[in-house]
This record gives sequence, C-alpha cells and structure tokens, in this order.
Amino acid sequence: MSTEPAAIVGVGQTHHKSRRHDVSFGGLVREAAFRALDDAHMTFADIDAVVIGKAPDLFEGVMKPELYLSDALGAVGKPMFRVHTAGSVGGTTAIVAASHVQARKHERVLAVAFEKQSEGNAQFALGSGRGASLGAGGAFAPFIRAYIERSGAPEHIGWKVAVKDRQNALKNPYAHLRIPDISIEKVKESPMMWEPLRYLESCPSSDGACAVVLTNEAGGTAAAADGRPPAWIIGASSRSEPPSFPGRDPVRPAACVQAAWDVYEQAGITNPRQQIDMAELYVPFSWHEAIWLEGHDIAAAGEGWRMIDDDETALTGSFPVNASGGVLSSNPIGASGLLRFAEAANQVRGAAGEHQVAGAKVALAMAYGANSQYFSTWVVASSLQPFD
Amino acid sequence: MTRFVENSIVFPYKRSLGPVIGAFMTGLTEQRILGIRSGDQVIVPPLEWDPQTGAELDPDGMVEVGPAGTVESWTWVPAPSEQHPLGHPFAFAFIRLDGASTPLLHAVDTGAPDALRVGARVAPRWRGSRVGHIGDIIAFVPGEQPEVDGPDSGPAEAPVTMMDYNASITYRNPVPPVLDRLREASRDQRIIGQRCPVCERVYSGGRGYCPIDAVELGEEQDVDLPHTGTITNFTIVTPVQYPGQTETEPFARVFVLLDGTDVILPYQPVVELPVGEVRVGKRVAAAWAPPNDDIDDAGAMGGAYGHLIGWIPSGEPDVEDPDLVNRIF
Repeated sequence: MSTEPAAIVGVGQTHHKSRRHDVSFGGLVREAAFRALDDAHMTFADIDAVVIGKAPDLFEGVMKPELYLSDALGAVGKPMFRVHTAGSVGGTTAIVAASHVQARKHERVLAVAFEKQSEGNAQFALGSGRGASLGAGGAFAPFIRAYIERSGAPEHIGWKVAVKDRQNALKNPYAHLRIPDISIEKVKESPMMWEPLRYLESCPSSDGACAVVLTNEAGGTAAAADGRPPAWIIGASSRSEPPSFPGRDPVRPAACVQAAWDVYEQAGITNPRQQIDMAELYVPFSWHEAIWLEGHDIAAAGEGWRMIDDDETALTGSFPVNASGGVLSSNPIGASGLLRFAEAANQVRGAAGEHQVAGAKVALAMAYGANSQYFSTWVVASSLQPFD
Repeated sequence: MTRFVENSIVFPYKRSLGPVIGAFMTGLTEQRILGIRSGDQVIVPPLEWDPQTGAELDPDGMVEVGPAGTVESWTWVPAPSEQHPLGHPFAFAFIRLDGASTPLLHAVDTGAPDALRVGARVAPRWRGSRVGHIGDIIAFVPGEQPEVDGPDSGPAEAPVTMMDYNASITYRNPVPPVLDRLREASRDQRIIGQRCPVCERVYSGGRGYCPIDAVELGEEQDVDLPHTGTITNFTIVTPVQYPGQTETEPFARVFVLLDGTDVILPYQPVVELPVGEVRVGKRVAAAWAPPNDDIDDAGAMGGAYGHLIGWIPSGEPDVEDPDLVNRIF
C-alpha cells in the first residue's frame, strides 16, 4: 500500500531575537503555533497529534519540557511526541510529523520546535558543563579545514556566504541578525573565533520557535481549492552515522549523501541541480554551504565553492540557497532545522514574501546535528507530480 | 570491579516568566498569592493557558486567594535532602487555598506527621526578604494567620519578570576498565593502545571496541604505543566566557596520529607550542606530568589523561602529506 501524500498547509514562526525575556517557554512556542494554525485556518481543536523538538535539555536546564508544553500546545488527551536528534532535531520533527500523516495514523499534525538560548549558554551545554568547551565552531573547524585543503577553495568563499545570507536576512522580517552594512571587508575583519572561522562567519544564539501544520491529501487539496496553496512533501528521509570511526569523512558524510539520495529517489529526482529550484541548507558556519551543496550532489565533490564564487546561490542566482538568511542569521537551535523545512515549504507555496525565489516549485531542506552525524532531509513541491 | 567517578553539572539558568507567572511571583513579594480565572474556576498557581483547551487566559483575570487554605493530601518527608525546601522533616501537601479551585503544592511544617491530617487548616510563613520565587513562602504552618519570618523587607521594587534557577546535578559515572588501564600505565609513562584481533587496526585513546568489526577490545588486546606522532588537524578556540569556563586565552586542541596507529587522538592539548605554531604535519611527542602529581580522575574520553598531559614539539621535521588533514577520526 502506498503512503498517504502529506502537505504543509500552515507555517508560523516567531521573530527570532537574542533574548525573548517577555515570554515563557509556553508563550514562545504558542506564538509560532498560533501563526501556523492561523495560516492553516485551524485551531488546536482541529489537530490530532503534536510533535515537538528542541536541542538537548541542558541548553535551558528544563528536563522534558514537552511534558509541561503539552498543555500550552493544546495537546491534552492527544498523542504528543518529543524528538531528539541534536541540531538536526527541527528537521527530524517535521519528518516524524509527516510520517504520522503518511502512515494514515493522523490527518492533521502540528510540528513545533523551539530554543530559548538566553536561558542558558550554548558553549556551556556543548561542553557538557565543563571548562574549555570547544563549542560547535571549535568542533567543526577541523572539518572545514579539511574541506578547504581538499577543494583548494579560496578563503573569500566563506566570507561571501556570510555576506549573502545576511543580505537575504534583510528581506526576512523574522530574521534575528540584521546587518544592513554587511560586507566582505566587515566579515574578514571580524575576529577569528575558531580558525579558519571568523565571528561573522558564525551563527548567532537566538530565542525562537517555528511550527508547521501537516495534513493528508484531502486536507492539502481542500487548502488549494480555498486559494491557499499547500507544499507537498515528495520525499523525506533521516539518516545517522556513529560520531567517530576509522575512515569516517565529515566533509562528505555517508549519512548525508544517503539521506539525500533516499529523498531524490522518492521524489523522482535524478539531476538535483536541474530539478530543484532552491534549497534551505543547515549552514551554521559559512563553509557548510559549500560542504552541503556537495553532500547533496548539487555540485560535484570539490566544486561546491565555485557555485558560491559565481553567485549562483544568491537570491537571484540559478540555485538560491538560504533565501531566508539561514542559520547564519537566526539560530534558535532546536527550531533551526524546522525553519529550513518551513522556509522551503513557503517558497513552493509562493508565500515567502520579499525573499521569495521567483518561480520556485521544488525546494530542498536539510538539517544536521551533533558531530555532523544526524541528517534530516526533505523535498517539497507545489504539486505532487512536479516533474510530469 | 567497576570504579565510579562523580561529576557535577552546575549552571545558573535565567528564566523569563511571562506575563502570568511574572505577576504571580511579583504577588509573592507583596505577600499575596494570585490565581487566574478560567471560566468559573480559579487556577492556583496561575497558568497562561487553560490546561484542558489550551485557550489563552486573561492576565487581567488574576485574583488573590488565601492566605489560608485546607490540606487535601500530603506525604511526609522524614529525611530531607539538600534540595528539599526545609532542612528538617516536613510534609509536601496539596493545599486548596480559600477561593481557589485547584490545590497548590507546597511544604507544610508541623514538626511531626501526627500533627497533620487531611482537612487541616494552614497558612503561609513568609520569608522576610522576598525575591519573587515560590520559596518566598518558607512553608505553610497550622492555623489561619500568615506569619513573616524575621524583619520584613517589603515587596519588590519593580515587577518580577525573571527568575534565577541554579541547577546542580551530580552524576555517578562508571569508568570503563580500559580507561583505568590507560591511566595506570601513564604513571609509568606508557601509552596503551589496543589492536583489533579481526582487522588488526591499532586504536589509541582507550576506545575499548573496534567500531568496524563491532568487537570488544579487552586487556589481552592492549599494546604499548610509541610516544611520537603527527598533528593531522587542529582547532584554535577563542574562549567564550560562561559559568564554569576555565580558559581566558585562545587555546589549541590538536588531532594526533601516533606512529603505527590507525585512529587519531582527538582534541589533545599542547604543551610549549604557541597557538600560532600549530600546523598540520607538525611532529609532537608525549608530555608527562611529574610522577608524584595528582592525576585527573575523571576518566573522560578524548583529551589527555592521567600523567599524559599533552603534546610537545618533538623537533623532527614536518610531515608533508596532503592527505594528512583528512585524518579526522
């Protein structure tokens, strides 16, 4: 029996900021949830199940916050699921929510992801509560050095991504970082944080939440008939690999490549560069754009940086990446993956506003987590058969 | 026998309370306990949303309850721990404050369990100095009249919007036997590795298993490793300050591929090697603590361990190998 087609009919997010001192956890997730429900023309009463994701609990020091947030998200008496896949969790949350629809277990599912980084400290949490934390930048810097050495990419590639994503963020009213005078000079003169990564090549710490409403084929068709185009999920996959083993390649992780090709196979994609119109890739540090362009075979190995150098990934380029400003502009960690998935959905719904990619019909979203070992990927489209 | 080490994680989290819990906490500094209306119910402590429907509750619908109330259920705590609200035996009780529809969970201080019963009337004993925290009520005590413990420093000067939460949790972690063997060998300035009997890869760092062949590596697989190796990759971390941070200056962590081994030692500290001179291909040798020094007991994976404190330049010429930088695991 084939799976039920699943559609995204509602997307919501908070304005992402350094500190949302005006709200509790519950207030934060409700803001995103209500925006998604409003967008879907639904209320809590219409929802069959809730799936929630966030980064490890050490970030805010609240263990199992989903237990208390079930009330806040109208989930009393309904199934509620918590997803744990570190930084990729927002993407995995979307995929778990979609699977409930695809399996015909539920018809309407609310997926919510959040982080309130201001309540704790990411460096503390990533260092397991000890001194001398490497932080994410410190942990990933060697991977990035390997990419640069292997590809022979010039150093300005990282700076270009940092500028491009911040320029895109100026067109996204929800983005956290707004740096109107961002420039190559500004990035390259910013402090070196984790050689070769500079301060402005790194993601911020944000408070924020994102939510999407997923529904079955009938729900998606009804929304379309009502003049509210849905985004159809035409492929979704999660893959993981152990954190360390001899021969592991963090520049082209096998789990990333396998998740991508699992999705492409489901979607009928044989030439991702040609068949996909834009991508929201999880890029917390500038060089990850090149790494993931290659990891998804959008560019050949060692060639991803050339697409950046040629401005092909700019908003007006032939293959825009992170039109929303990406993780480099807003990073409520747990929500960052769901934001990629939601922004891709909005692109194919034609609902991305000022950062809309003209004519986007097929969009790729991915998130990764932990030691570059968890990968979640989906492709959404404006119709169920976009290549017919 | 397995050895255990204790690890404590301590962090001062900062909570933002939102409009409803913030008002509740502000009320506590004024010696007032607030609930919130939801239909014909008064929910105490107040919630931002109806717990059944998720509907938004109006902060303007907050009402004062109590101060006295009735015990609906209780349990005696005969031996309080450090994290309990009182240092002597007490009860946790559900207290339905006068005017409330739901019970509040708090401590009741009666000295002995036989002084407490369902239906008992209790009132708050307030702390003299209140900050906007549920602990502003030390406990409930028998009777109808609230009390204040010590001089009353009055209500908060401004509305309470934030709360400090000083988290502390202590884990008791088992130390894998292989790490204890590595640590013991380090006293004699020996570096122990393990050879997989199936693939013959030599693992440094006390992994205890071969991830390729999925076999456990026991004492019989232990081998002595050379004390020299090559830096394959590295990170230089600019320390961000946070509670518990031990670093103030940029520091290096290097990947060391010991001669004759198949996996790197990840994120190793360096000794007498300035961050500006850390590079791929640099040759290093083990640096040892004096024999009588206390040694790190934490048994952590990664990083140096025991008397092995890091890696010092060996003085040998660099290794020129373009593939070295890819040796990350």
